[in-house]
Amino acid sequence: MAEVKSDLTAAPNRFTSAAKSLRGEWLGLAVILLLALFPFLFGWFTGTSVQDGPSKFWQGQLITFFIMAVYAMSYDLLIGYTGILSFGHAAFFGGGAYTMGLFLTHIGPKIIGSYKITIGAADITEVLVLVAATLLVVVVVTLLGLLFSVVSARIKGVYFAMISLAMADAIHILSKATDFGKWTGADEGLHGIPVPMWINPTQHRLLFYFIALAFCVIMYLIARRMVDSPTGRVFVALRENESRVRMIGYNPVTYRTLSFVVAAVIAGLAGALFSLWNMGATPTMTSAVTTINALIMTILGGIGTLIGPILGAGLMQIVGQFFYQWFGARWPLVFGLIFIALVLFLPYGVVGTYRLKRLEWKQGWQRLWGLVAGK
Amino acid sequence: MRLGFFRRNATMLVVLGLIAVLGVIGWTTMGQQPFVRTTLSGLTIGALYFMVASGLTLIFGLMDVLNFAHGTMFMLGAYLGWQFYTNPTFLFGLFPLIFALLAGLVTSPILRSTFMHLNVSEKAQKTIQTAVALAGIALIVLAVRGLDILGLAETAMVATMSMGNPLAEASAQEPLAVFWFRPVLMFLAGLLLAAAAARPGDRTQVVYAGDKRQAWIISGSLAVLTVTATLFRESAPNAVLLWNGNLRFFAALAVGALCGAGLSAAVEVSLIRPLYIRPLYQVIVTLGLAYVLRETIQVLWDPLAYQMTRPPMFSQPGKAENILAWFSGQNLTVDVLGVTFPSYRLFIIVLGVLMVIALSLLMNYSRLGMIIRAGVQDRTMVEALGINVRKVFTIVFMLGAGLAALGGIGAAPFIPVQPNMGDAFQLQAFIVVVIGGMGSYSGAAIGALLLGLARAFGDYLALKFSLSPAIAEASTVIIMAIVLLVRPAGLFGKKE
Repeated sequence: MAEVKSDLTAAPNRFTSAAKSLRGEWLGLAVILLLALFPFLFGWFTGTSVQDGPSKFWQGQLITFFIMAVYAMSYDLLIGYTGILSFGHAAFFGGGAYTMGLFLTHIGPKIIGSYKITIGAADITEVLVLVAATLLVVVVVTLLGLLFSVVSARIKGVYFAMISLAMADAIHILSKATDFGKWTGADEGLHGIPVPMWINPTQHRLLFYFIALAFCVIMYLIARRMVDSPTGRVFVALRENESRVRMIGYNPVTYRTLSFVVAAVIAGLAGALFSLWNMGATPTMTSAVTTINALIMTILGGIGTLIGPILGAGLMQIVGQFFYQWFGARWPLVFGLIFIALVLFLPYGVVGTYRLKRLEWKQGWQRLWGLVAGK
Repeated sequence: MRLGFFRRNATMLVVLGLIAVLGVIGWTTMGQQPFVRTTLSGLTIGALYFMVASGLTLIFGLMDVLNFAHGTMFMLGAYLGWQFYTNPTFLFGLFPLIFALLAGLVTSPILRSTFMHLNVSEKAQKTIQTAVALAGIALIVLAVRGLDILGLAETAMVATMSMGNPLAEASAQEPLAVFWFRPVLMFLAGLLLAAAAARPGDRTQVVYAGDKRQAWIISGSLAVLTVTATLFRESAPNAVLLWNGNLRFFAALAVGALCGAGLSAAVEVSLIRPLYIRPLYQVIVTLGLAYVLRETIQVLWDPLAYQMTRPPMFSQPGKAENILAWFSGQNLTVDVLGVTFPSYRLFIIVLGVLMVIALSLLMNYSRLGMIIRAGVQDRTMVEALGINVRKVFTIVFMLGAGLAALGGIGAAPFIPVQPNMGDAFQLQAFIVVVIGGMGSYSGAAIGALLLGLARAFGDYLALKFSLSPAIAEASTVIIMAIVLLVRPAGLFGKKE
């Protein structure tokens, strides 16, 4: 009995776990170091400047990758750990992007125009505006997350998948409604958001690169800490057997809400950073396509692994880049076929399959044959 | 007895009563003309919602599959039906190939009885299976190589441009002397795939005599169909194009629905069935499928929006004084209670109502309907009674997709035919299904009615307060929220 209990609730001692994770994650550290040095290494190898040219282009690609990785990761928290099938994730991403964009476009300039806050000689008004915008993003997406989790407390499973899709679509429709065109730019979206000069992605690409990298790493650490904590264990338990969780004495609603809010905040922050990076927020960011992208990235990398979605985001970025060159405008067709094959043959994604240490090829064919033979 | 009726249909009566009360309020505040016009457009939208939602709800109720490709079936039905209506050359060119492949595929039980006794070591079985299957797929590729399907967008464009005489623009087909090898190759490919499915050397299989006889019959009739389709391939399109436009339109309705049903049967058997053990992946696979089908459509027809012409029955100039007058005049518009309304939209409403009636007859008075209703209640019990539920699954999947495809071709004459035409309908159909309760077709009907009316009146109100229709579209989510707060399982859903 004691064993069972310790199994369920024991969090690894914080210090040993930190030390262990440092020892276990040397590969991760190496990758982060490599990514941090990437702009310089690239510039050194090709003999071009770090600030512009191909180096700048690849930095841009990696920035998109970092942001999408965080977004996919937040989706994995929901679908992979808590087991909530939600098709409304774009609402958080787009909600964050629009909040950031709207604040910086319509409220930021007014504040900067009428107030001047300084520390000594340094003018920190712009910084404060950005901080305020970020806080607002957190508040807005938290509210959105709460809204979704209130619904998810009442409706379960596939029902919720449909309803979350409809809810996200309502937000999508509002984001492109002409009624708010004065503020949101309707179909066109927001363009030319006045991003503060010192983190402007076109002028200070390198700085933005490091911000995005740091954002990705920090969010990963937060998410990792979250899923490794006792709370994270309850998430997994919710996925596996909800009534048992309730029986042990945890309130499923609380934990589902928590999971939703955390995922929403992470996705919203990713969206906000994306709007800074694009200097724009478009209705595409709230559309179902964005949700499906998160799903594809997660499936591609492996559900419930956190690191998988990151890899998935990278793969998608690379694949999108090259498939466009190879197959032209209709590359999603090839991609979709590969995706279906993946679901049939590699259901645990890249990371999941690696962890299982065996390929699912055989099972995939068996599945395929079982059906033709009409078993 | 009479009290029982009220008790059983309490929800339905309450909802209908609510609609009636709102209707009276609307009539008095809006005035007759705007009210009738708005109601009629609400009914039109509701009828289309029902066509998509009824299949969705049956599929979900019986099989627990959330079909994200359902809106794509709507779109596909529209494309195929419209293609049949304007220029059926392409479809007639494809029929022999499909029939030939199927004729080969269904021989699996026949082959099994001999192939299972072959002496193949257990290790080699998998390899042989895979090799044979790959050979089959290679044959399919060979058979369709060089087939002119990419020119479809051009012919479609031409067909749209020259509404008067599509016949003159019908592209020439391969002569039979060149074409004949394609169906033959397809048949061989089907045989190979069937052989692989028969699992040569695996003696643990059971062969039922009935299956074998059935396979002979089906394969034989498909072979006859193949030959017929090959022979009529060149002349049939011309014959169809010479038909009266109305006849062609009704044939297009049937063709669209049947093609949608056939395709979805293939989808169910090949993609959904292997994943019953992992329901999450079923959802994901339908998502991927929707993606692929939409892209395929864009490859074949180019990402353009087409406009299907209304059949002559609904396009004679002028206005019919009443519905009876329309039967003789076949006018573009009909005067309904003082409102000039397009006659085609009335046809959509009639089609929707017919579908509700047909579906309720099917569900209540046929053996299949009985099995479906029982399956929605308790699938395991139905299986225990010795009914092959898997077969019923396929049929329901076909039925649902067929209804959606019929809705698509029905909608084609008044909304643009384009790759994403099904998406909005699918989304609203989700809401309809959630409102009505999963697995209940009457719930879907009521939900579709509610949502259609809500959309139409929402649009009216939005216009009145100079808002965009987008607000009305988003407000349907609020209706869903209200219904779910009152009844979490939907209006007619089974209680968990």
